[in-house]
Amino acid sequence: MSAADWIVLKFGGTSVSTRARWSTIGELAQARLNDGHCVLIVVSAVSGVTDQLKGLIEAEAEHRAALAEQLIARHRAFAVELGLQASVVEPVEQALHALLKSPHAAVRAYPWQAEIFALGELWSSRLGAAFLTAEGVTAGWLDARTQLSAQALPNQGAWARHLSTSCQVQPSPAIAQQLREAGSLQITQGFIARNLSGETVLLGRGGSDTSAACFGALLGAQRVEIWTDVPGMFSANPRRVPEARLLRHLDYDEAQEIATTGAKVLHPRCLGPVRDGAVPLWIKDTQRPELEGTCIDAGGGNGPLSVKAISHRMGVTLVSMESIGMWQQVGFLADVFGYFRQHGLSVDLIGSAETNVTVSLDPSENLLSADNLEALCADLARVCRVKVIGPCAAITLVGRGMRRMLHRLSEVLAEFGEQRVHLVSQSSNNLNLTFVVDEDIAEALLPRLHEHLIRARVMAVDDARLFGPSWESLSQAPVATAARWWERDQARLLEIAASQGPAYVYDLASVRAQAQRLLAISPVDRWFYAIKANDHPALLQALAALGFGLECVSTAELAWVQQHCPELPGSRILFTPNFAPRLEYRQALASGVMVTVDGLHPLQHWGAEFEGAQIALRVDLGPGRGHHDKVRTGGQASKFGLAPADLERARLLAADAGAKIVGLHAHLGSGILDPQHWAEVYAQLAALGERFVDLRWLDIGGGLGVPGSGERELDLAQVAAGLARVKQLYPHWDLHMEPGRYLVADAGVLLARVTQVKDKHGVRFVGIEAGMNALLRPALYDAVHPIVNLSRLGQPATDTVTVVGPICESGDVLGRERRMPAAAEGDVILIAQAGAYGAVMGNRYNRRPLIAEVVL
Amino acid sequence: MREDFDPRQVQCFRFVGAEYAGGEARLHYALDDLQLTEVVRFPGAPEVLPQRAQAVASALSMLHWLAGTSYYKAAIPRQIEFAGPLPDPQAAELITQVYVHGLAEFAYVNQVTLADRVVIPRVAAASEASPLSLPRRALVAIGGGKDSLVSIDLLSGRDEPFAVTWVGQSELIRNCAERCGRPMLNIERKIAPELIELNRRGAYNGHVPVTAINSAILTLAALLYGYDEVVFSNEASAGAPTLIHDSQPVNHQWSKGPEFEVAFDAWVRSRVASDLHYYSLLRPLSELAVTARFARLESYFDAFSSCNRNFRLSGDKPRSRWCGECPKCHFVFLALAPFLVKPALVRIFGRNLLDNADLIGDFEALLEWGADKPFECVGEARESRAALARLSERADWREDAVVAHFRRHILPRLDPAELDLAGLLAVGDRDHLPERLRTVFD
Repeated sequence: MSAADWIVLKFGGTSVSTRARWSTIGELAQARLNDGHCVLIVVSAVSGVTDQLKGLIEAEAEHRAALAEQLIARHRAFAVELGLQASVVEPVEQALHALLKSPHAAVRAYPWQAEIFALGELWSSRLGAAFLTAEGVTAGWLDARTQLSAQALPNQGAWARHLSTSCQVQPSPAIAQQLREAGSLQITQGFIARNLSGETVLLGRGGSDTSAACFGALLGAQRVEIWTDVPGMFSANPRRVPEARLLRHLDYDEAQEIATTGAKVLHPRCLGPVRDGAVPLWIKDTQRPELEGTCIDAGGGNGPLSVKAISHRMGVTLVSMESIGMWQQVGFLADVFGYFRQHGLSVDLIGSAETNVTVSLDPSENLLSADNLEALCADLARVCRVKVIGPCAAITLVGRGMRRMLHRLSEVLAEFGEQRVHLVSQSSNNLNLTFVVDEDIAEALLPRLHEHLIRARVMAVDDARLFGPSWESLSQAPVATAARWWERDQARLLEIAASQGPAYVYDLASVRAQAQRLLAISPVDRWFYAIKANDHPALLQALAALGFGLECVSTAELAWVQQHCPELPGSRILFTPNFAPRLEYRQALASGVMVTVDGLHPLQHWGAEFEGAQIALRVDLGPGRGHHDKVRTGGQASKFGLAPADLERARLLAADAGAKIVGLHAHLGSGILDPQHWAEVYAQLAALGERFVDLRWLDIGGGLGVPGSGERELDLAQVAAGLARVKQLYPHWDLHMEPGRYLVADAGVLLARVTQVKDKHGVRFVGIEAGMNALLRPALYDAVHPIVNLSRLGQPATDTVTVVGPICESGDVLGRERRMPAAAEGDVILIAQAGAYGAVMGNRYNRRPLIAEVVL
Repeated sequence: MREDFDPRQVQCFRFVGAEYAGGEARLHYALDDLQLTEVVRFPGAPEVLPQRAQAVASALSMLHWLAGTSYYKAAIPRQIEFAGPLPDPQAAELITQVYVHGLAEFAYVNQVTLADRVVIPRVAAASEASPLSLPRRALVAIGGGKDSLVSIDLLSGRDEPFAVTWVGQSELIRNCAERCGRPMLNIERKIAPELIELNRRGAYNGHVPVTAINSAILTLAALLYGYDEVVFSNEASAGAPTLIHDSQPVNHQWSKGPEFEVAFDAWVRSRVASDLHYYSLLRPLSELAVTARFARLESYFDAFSSCNRNFRLSGDKPRSRWCGECPKCHFVFLALAPFLVKPALVRIFGRNLLDNADLIGDFEALLEWGADKPFECVGEARESRAALARLSERADWREDAVVAHFRRHILPRLDPAELDLAGLLAVGDRDHLPERLRTVFD
């Protein structure tokens, strides 16, 4: 019979801190034993214990006894929770008492510190072994120091030799066999090893993962499983990019690259031993053991070409060196790098040209608290012109075969093209491509890059071998979406399409339901509906009846509102034009509505119009947000609003004109799904408001996002909580909001029948009787609308098609690469989320008539 | 949207009365027939000790009078009446100063004149206050900016007993206060809701001397909880006039200046308690000297903000604490630069304001180079000039857009003798400080 394979399981601090978690560990071990494996469990100290031990080391001698008692009491209490005798941990307590009395304690000798730190893992492993044995899963206790030995590296200081060392391991079938004989389940400690003199040493950061990897290599294990609190490694940091996808499969080099360039799940140090020993490493989620996690192994090398991840590091500093002297000058770079070594600064990325060398420095102690950088620059300034650039972020695309994907990165490069890129670096290992940009844009850039990578198919997220579900779909219970109103009304809609031809259909009940959800956001004192989204009279009347005011952007819209909602008082109508002529302001002021000014020109040149009026100012608070450039309404390129720097000027001009500024307005974009956005806008706007003595209200605009497929609903409760937080600081001003699309998008659909189907060059085109003349958004903003074949609702999707209209423009595409049942001439196609910016943007291009509108 | 309140029709502003009970001070005012009541809450305040009752009554009166600026300014009527006790002559002088100088910016912005309107009646004289044996400990005002954190550090270094105190809601201040590791006292102030309504209806509005009001609140708190010092952190140049209007100096924050400090302390000692001391610990320091000291207080770097726009909300992102566009942001960035390593400074702000060519004009305003000093609390031009001159010598800064511009176009035209950074760090007169703290800067 062949000897059973080892599996190494590693558990971190939170996984060993409660009885329930230890029971889980027992079940996981038992399952592997049942499969005929031997199991080695590597554990960290109980949560917080390592910090307590650090406190004990740093404390004055007379305080140490009390801190030691706290630690002892804590572990005894845990023993009781686990149903064990306190005597289980006595050997550790004796070791602690002995260490406190040691002559090395006074000087905090490094070997003594290592011994103290080691107690944490010794405690947790003793408790675990006793608990599992008591539960009927017999577990042996193994002192890791008998198996792992550390070797000092050249140039290593005393601190690193004892407290941040590393191990070299060779596979040893003999040790594997010897441990097998000692018992098929063993528990040992992470983080600790011995050195050649037999002293206890520590493995430094990421220590326990590294221990597990070393044991895996030593035992020639079938695999190492790192159990953590996250489902695995992701294609981006999920905190910044909720759409980040789980990485199912990586090779060692890719994992190393991702771990080194930003991901915190795994310490890069632990990949060396498993790579050398060709041991697969799995990352698994303790809370949800059923998830498959991430598997890291040698890979086949013949997988599909794909960027696997975007990683990023913040706090990067660049040193740019410029000199004509470096050109063809032997030894120039050697001198330059000599200075870096001399000042203890380690260089990470390098970009080099004939007359410029730019290097990046990671944040480190030497960089942030000592004046090494200043001294370095003083030295460098003698040989070249030096400039320090920061704070920067290094954004790295990781994936094997990067160079072969470069040609498909045009959209990604275009995104970078809009930013200041200080350094680009592509390593010869063909694994990464790094861009260094200003830190303050990195956060907003990451989700956009991720989206571009997917859209450009450079990140092959459809390949289930490589990519798993998104972070947000894993982190949230799937929201049960109510059946779409148009599914319910299928028969009626088919009838409308058959009798009327192409048509927009609106469901008033959906508009009202959406409005009620907004009205529940209590910090908002008044709601306005931006009628440009859809000015159908039935919608305006329904919203006005619910208490919404209406926001207009032209006098023609004002007249429309006055015609269809004659009862609505002027105080509930906003006039917020952009670059409108003088006459429109005069007419609006005369009709008694609230007028917003969004530039200096009207106050400067038409001051007389504003005498005695109450007006609002629209401010551009800076970089806008939104799903597309053309829907971002803030930032340098935007034509909307006053720069904050011009506000004081506007205030004085208004005062000269005899106008009172009673409102401040900001609106930064549309399609925003980040619930914190509005609180940020609110806070920034409120801070500007302090200078306006007549101020009564702040209007933070709309832009509430309507989720597309696979996107999360905007969490209105979080929006409300964020606003409430700001409101309590500024209770004296009313808060206004003015959504448009959010209220009506889902309430409208566009129906059109299939005209022709065409296969060309492997693409199947489904033509329908309405195109960009009816719905301009896909052509104008690359907007993505759900498209279904209403005649074949519920049938399996067998085709991948591009849906196009009848307009003679190559941009007349309503949706690309959509999966749907095979379509036939006359089928009714439904384009959803068409209630906003649909009919209102309709046009008669190609002399095609405007599309009919039907209200249910 | 109609304005139905005409401030010019109001005849009289009346101090109706003030009472304190159960941790709550209620301050009553009237504008003609309209009654207004402000409430200040002192959480967990103990019963007033009988021997301090007289002092509490005096401090409450002063709070009533000074907090009245908020209500008086809604209409600035010709007549000011006192339904309760009249101020003594010294108090009447102090009130007059606060109403005239503390509301000077308000008057400027609203184009009104106050000097001849504020006439405060007074009693002939009052008795001298005696010592109250207040416990030896201080209430230190904290504002979430660099100044008060430097004071707190100086006092902590001396093992001084103190609590950190602030008035009103502010996440940012609470965040900073928690990092001080000292007892905290957060006093709640509720403006009369009728005033907010009046502002909607057309009342005058504008800046009030909030430091004066907070000084009176903290003085009352010192008597209620038992502290013998009230410490603020206004530095040497705080309170310098920003402009002259109508031959009156208009100061953005007059009540942060030495004039108010001296007058208020003198009144407290002579009329409230002879052993209660009000002072500003940082008065001997320039802005630059304060930032030089703050540069060592790393533990506050990711919590503090001196930005006047983003000052109420805290946040982990630098952008939520520093707008990067206002003169305060520009000045604090510049003033910290000579004393911090560059990567640490840019990390605080999340960006490098001195490498943004769009800001050259704003920095020139700080230098008073072809532009007026901004209407905000920033250091003197010579401090900004000295700081930029120092950065021009530093290899890690000299190529940054604003520094390079200064080096090429401004520095050659400045007198090198005026650019001595060390001279600006000298500690000034400390006579107003308690004797034991006069060496605190050494």
